[in-house]
Amino acid sequence: MYLIGNISIYLGIVISLYGIIANIVGLKKKSSKWMESARGAVISLAFVASIASFLLLYLLGTSQFQFKYVASYTNESLPMAYKLTAFWAGNAGSLLLWAFLLALYATMVVFSREKKNRMMPYVSSILMVNILFFFSVMALNANPFEMTDKIPADGKGLNPMLQNPGMILHPVTLYMGYVGLAVPFAFGIAALILKRMDSEWIKLTRRWTLLAWLFLTLGNVIGGWWAYLELGWGGYWAWDPVENASFLPWLTVSAFLHSVMIQERKNMLKTWNVSLIILSYILTLFGTFLVRSGVLTSVHAFGDSNLGTYFLVFMAFMMLFSLYIVMTRYGLIKKDSSPIEAYFSKESSFLLNNLILVAAAFAVFWGTMYPLISETFTGTKVNVGAPYFNKVMAPILLVLIVLMGICPLIAWQKAVFEKFMKNMLWPLAMGVATAILLFAFGVKGIYAIIGLSATSFMFGTHLLEFARGISARRKATKENILKAAFKLTVKNQRRYGGYIVHIGIAVIAVGVISSHTYSTEVLKTVDAGGSIKTGDYVLKFNELTEHTKNGNGVVVADIDVTYKGKDIGKIKPEKIFYETWPEPSTEVAIKTNWSQDLYVVLSSWENKDKVTFMVKVNPFVSWIWVGGIIMVIGTAFALIGGRPTTFRYQINKGISRVGGLKK
Amino acid sequence: MSKNKKIVMGLGLAAVAFVIMMFSTMPSAGSKEITIADLSKNGSKYEGDYIMTQGLLNKESVKWDADKLELRFELYEEGQGTLQIFHKGIKPDNFSEDVIVLVEGFIQKDGVFEAEKVQTKCPTKYEGEDMENYDTEMHKEIYKNDKPE
Repeated sequence: MYLIGNISIYLGIVISLYGIIANIVGLKKKSSKWMESARGAVISLAFVASIASFLLLYLLGTSQFQFKYVASYTNESLPMAYKLTAFWAGNAGSLLLWAFLLALYATMVVFSREKKNRMMPYVSSILMVNILFFFSVMALNANPFEMTDKIPADGKGLNPMLQNPGMILHPVTLYMGYVGLAVPFAFGIAALILKRMDSEWIKLTRRWTLLAWLFLTLGNVIGGWWAYLELGWGGYWAWDPVENASFLPWLTVSAFLHSVMIQERKNMLKTWNVSLIILSYILTLFGTFLVRSGVLTSVHAFGDSNLGTYFLVFMAFMMLFSLYIVMTRYGLIKKDSSPIEAYFSKESSFLLNNLILVAAAFAVFWGTMYPLISETFTGTKVNVGAPYFNKVMAPILLVLIVLMGICPLIAWQKAVFEKFMKNMLWPLAMGVATAILLFAFGVKGIYAIIGLSATSFMFGTHLLEFARGISARRKATKENILKAAFKLTVKNQRRYGGYIVHIGIAVIAVGVISSHTYSTEVLKTVDAGGSIKTGDYVLKFNELTEHTKNGNGVVVADIDVTYKGKDIGKIKPEKIFYETWPEPSTEVAIKTNWSQDLYVVLSSWENKDKVTFMVKVNPFVSWIWVGGIIMVIGTAFALIGGRPTTFRYQINKGISRVGGLKK
Repeated sequence: MSKNKKIVMGLGLAAVAFVIMMFSTMPSAGSKEITIADLSKNGSKYEGDYIMTQGLLNKESVKWDADKLELRFELYEEGQGTLQIFHKGIKPDNFSEDVIVLVEGFIQKDGVFEAEKVQTKCPTKYEGEDMENYDTEMHKEIYKNDKPE
């Protein structure tokens, strides 16, 4: 086992080196045989990465504690699901997962319909450089197949915080997003190396980028959900450096997904687009560097600092390489770009949206890195907490929401202001009506009311877009409403998929604004029979009991809950003393309905009859998870369908695939 | 001037406004990270500053008043100094011996640090501890001590 694991890691290094060389030789000699061989290398990489991954899964599943990684993250009594998901609980395993996913992506790319495309040798080489890096780091610094000096009788077990369904989904989805961005990056660079200033690379990578973005979205939402359920502080986002690291590429890819539409349709923003995808890719490496290096103070514990150095060096290398390529092609890209035709057009509104998304990314980056910047220049580390992020990001996100409400109504090329204002009427009325209703119901907090009204305006625009599309189709085809709605969306999947994503964002915004502004918290120590009142809830504490589950001691508080005087059952927050973990773990108890969560934490106790609780009422938190699901559905909808635009066909027509590499 | 340039200029102005907003928000939202050693020696120097510090928890020093919801404890840095902390609020989850505690708040005239936030490292540990040092009896002992009577 030891041999197979280690051989596969070293083979990974050898094969990726060979693949890169085979591509270089193939390009020099214009030999399709060498390129064929390089393709073989890619599939071999997927093969060895699979062997290593399945081996690690086998070792984890069968509790082979002679392996350090298995002993460090699992134990005998751990449920099988968590034994297997311990695969990505530590550095070494998550690097292997990364290499495995990269190799799978690379195989899918080089064996796709476009396998004979001229860009492919460059693309596969860039992907193999990434794979080479991950296998090398495993070999040099974090080997998942390292043996223990003395075989322990049982393993240390998995951190209780990681024993949650979030653990199964969050890291994998995030990695799939991170890894997926290497593909459009590789195509962008390949196009530049080949001096191909058309938009073919964007056409070829649209689905890859969307897929990566979908996984990044999922990863972030599941991360928030996990934090909310598992960490016991009642929140889902804390602007921690580690969270910011996964939010940064999400912002820049969101910008990219919008601005590529301009390049596809109008042949504009070429430098911007390629820079954005480079930036997004670099940010994935930067995020990993942050997580692994421990350079910033975070409540997340970081691993070994050497690993950070490896990532820093690789990131610097990739950044300089990309910069060099862009700089040497800059003149060509500029020459081939078209100018904007009118100030008031969809193009310029997309530009503004891009600027804001990138500004948001910069604000997050700046706040995250400020401790290091201030330490460098003043000698004092100044940590930037949630207040900074909230203050800066709230107006940025508000503008983004307003823009999402305005942009769909602005025409391409040159919009007519009067027509635009006429279109705005209904959504605007919806926004104003929301504000009036909120005031009328006595809702406090002017900023939240502005935010909610803007969200309602944005939602109104999208409703209107659907309504207008359906009505136009019905006029032309005489179909019934349902059929017209179905046909309309299916025939324009990219557009309406995007709108569904926007609606998901509106739903999330309601959750975020409401829970941020109107959440209440009570801390109270009560005796048995005592009660805690918060909002419309009354919680009566009955008793504290204990029992054993899977060898772990569990302490449970039994609480009766009434809502507006009506009995709604029991809520039972717990504390679990895991067999293999020094600290007890809080199991939050939540009662959810459509408008709010009752969130109860068993904080501590003096004895069986005197217990301290934290009780929160978080309005509309479930909307965040629902909004996330809507976003994913919208993205999937756009991903599955979406034919290329006519213009794109035109600009790509006549692009030759040269020499022996013809399709 | 071409339309493109004008648009770029307009967006440039928006970017400048944004940067001004960002910088103006920064000072009010930051906490200075000061070491326990520095705070225990030169505490008065930092009076009025919002400070973040971290140190190891001395479990013996923990005093928790459940009725008043007041927590007092001591953080230390090996051989460098100690700091008394007062916190109006609940005890974090894994408040055990030698756990690293991050606190944010203000240092008082009497040298006691009044923490607005108390957090322990870490919710998501990526790295396990060294297996050789793992004591299998540890959990039983902790549970025996901590379970409600």
